[in-house]
Amino acid sequence: MIEIDALTKVYGSAQVRAVDEVSLTVPAGSVFGFLGPNGAGKTTTIKMLAGLLTPTSGQVRLGGFDVTRQRSAAMAQFGAVLEGSRNVYWSLSAWQNLMYFGRLKGMRKARVAERAQDLLTDLGLWERRHDKVGGFSRGMQQKVAIAVALIADPPVVLLDEPTLGLDVEATRTVKNWIAEQARELGTTILLTTHQLDVAEELCDRVAVMRQGRLVADLPTRELLARFRERDRYEIRVEGAAPPGFDAVTREGVTTISVRVSDPSEVYEVVERLRAQGVVLESLTQVQPDLEDVFLALVNEPSHA
Amino acid sequence: MTFARGLAAEVRKGLLNLLAGWREVLMEMITFPLFYLLIVLFMGRGELRADLLLPVLLGMVALTFIHEQVNRVFWSYLGDIQSGVLEQTYLTPLPSAASILGRQVAAVIAAVPTALAVLTTGAVAISIQGGQLPFDAQVIVPLAAIVLGTCGLALILCGLTLVFKRIEIITQLSVALYAIAGGTLVPLAALPDPIAFLSRLVVPIAPGIEAMRDILLGGHSLAALPTGWGLGWLLTQPLLITAAGVILFNRLEHLARHRGTLGRY
Repeated sequence: MIEIDALTKVYGSAQVRAVDEVSLTVPAGSVFGFLGPNGAGKTTTIKMLAGLLTPTSGQVRLGGFDVTRQRSAAMAQFGAVLEGSRNVYWSLSAWQNLMYFGRLKGMRKARVAERAQDLLTDLGLWERRHDKVGGFSRGMQQKVAIAVALIADPPVVLLDEPTLGLDVEATRTVKNWIAEQARELGTTILLTTHQLDVAEELCDRVAVMRQGRLVADLPTRELLARFRERDRYEIRVEGAAPPGFDAVTREGVTTISVRVSDPSEVYEVVERLRAQGVVLESLTQVQPDLEDVFLALVNEPSHA
Repeated sequence: MTFARGLAAEVRKGLLNLLAGWREVLMEMITFPLFYLLIVLFMGRGELRADLLLPVLLGMVALTFIHEQVNRVFWSYLGDIQSGVLEQTYLTPLPSAASILGRQVAAVIAAVPTALAVLTTGAVAISIQGGQLPFDAQVIVPLAAIVLGTCGLALILCGLTLVFKRIEIITQLSVALYAIAGGTLVPLAALPDPIAFLSRLVVPIAPGIEAMRDILLGGHSLAALPTGWGLGWLLTQPLLITAAGVILFNRLEHLARHRGTLGRY
């Protein structure tokens, strides 16, 4: 479980509030999406969560241990893959990296070897275990970084942009793996990503940050449902676009986009189309995806 | 137990990196002895004079050691900060003291082959000139003082690089300064008094080199060293540098956590 309470970071004499009173709780065994545009304060929050940056005020607890005051105990609960960082030694092999970090985490040699074998086999790296990580592809390097984060089997894992720069196959492997860790092994996973389809697919709950503050923290379905109030419909019709409608014609098919405040208004729209002699092909309610929700949240006028 | 395991892992990693960079080590094992012979040749106006080979050798072995040890720790630390791997070592229950101590031990071991290559070259050159490399067990004390003081210096530089950017120049400059004013090539007694005073005060290898020369060239005992500030300072100076290193490193690490500079990638 991750508990963040009124976390604040103020930088420099200019008193820039990079993170402002952020509070959230990530229940054990869930996948939590932490989203926000560049400069929103995500990285600062993550670094405070990982104990790499001292907060100006507030508290972070990992598995019940305060990251600042009980660092050793908190770090024993934690593994992380940080974005932009190599995370592992490129001059060492995958096996040597896992043995090194496993020992730093206080594990016995035999236990590290056993765990390293399982992880490298699961991630399809066993055959290349003695090759230097510097010679690996981006996807393989990311897999080694994930294996290092999980070497001590921590109950809390932070994955900062885990699928960034990966090809389709590697992305799928990592996504499946994240889901398996949370669902089957009960690992708490905090995930940051700009790939919102990944967040939508994996996360039980999503928080969105903007200008150092949380602007949303809801279960993914609830967040999507909340934005469904702004109902949008797409009506496909035969032939050219009828006058008076917001429509796009491609390859002989016209799609009319209609936004209504009440679903009953759809009947009126259909009636107007029938009056013009337009033949309907289909009528679909457009469901907002996480990208729509994200853009709506980060583009809302600031209340600050 | 975590401390011991972490320390051992850090030393092992350092040695693996040393093995991975064996070509670089081999080059240094060739260039440093060549550098030593060239210095003796220049100082002897084109001759490998027997009276210069041993005094310069003692200084050159110490200089090679400090160059290798400090540079290895510093550059590996800076590399880890810039690649972000240092942050991963902070995401463990291991106290950072174990990590930095392990790096120091690995760097000491890594500095030995090149220092030994210089020593062996010197011994061969001296024997060709009809002499013999002297040995006295008392020399272990100044050698240990040099190792300890060097580790203290490396600790200060690592602490500085946690917070400040572009301090590489300080590292390069400090090693160059020791070559000129550290009593390595020219004895401190031959330097201006204020420079000799400062060198004995702050240069980690200066009292050690003076003591080695007194023991091996002058045949003096540790308890009665005629040059420098005596046995007391020989033992105290590296302890003070190391203590300063520990205090400074802790303060700067604390500052780095506040500023978020443990990783700069």
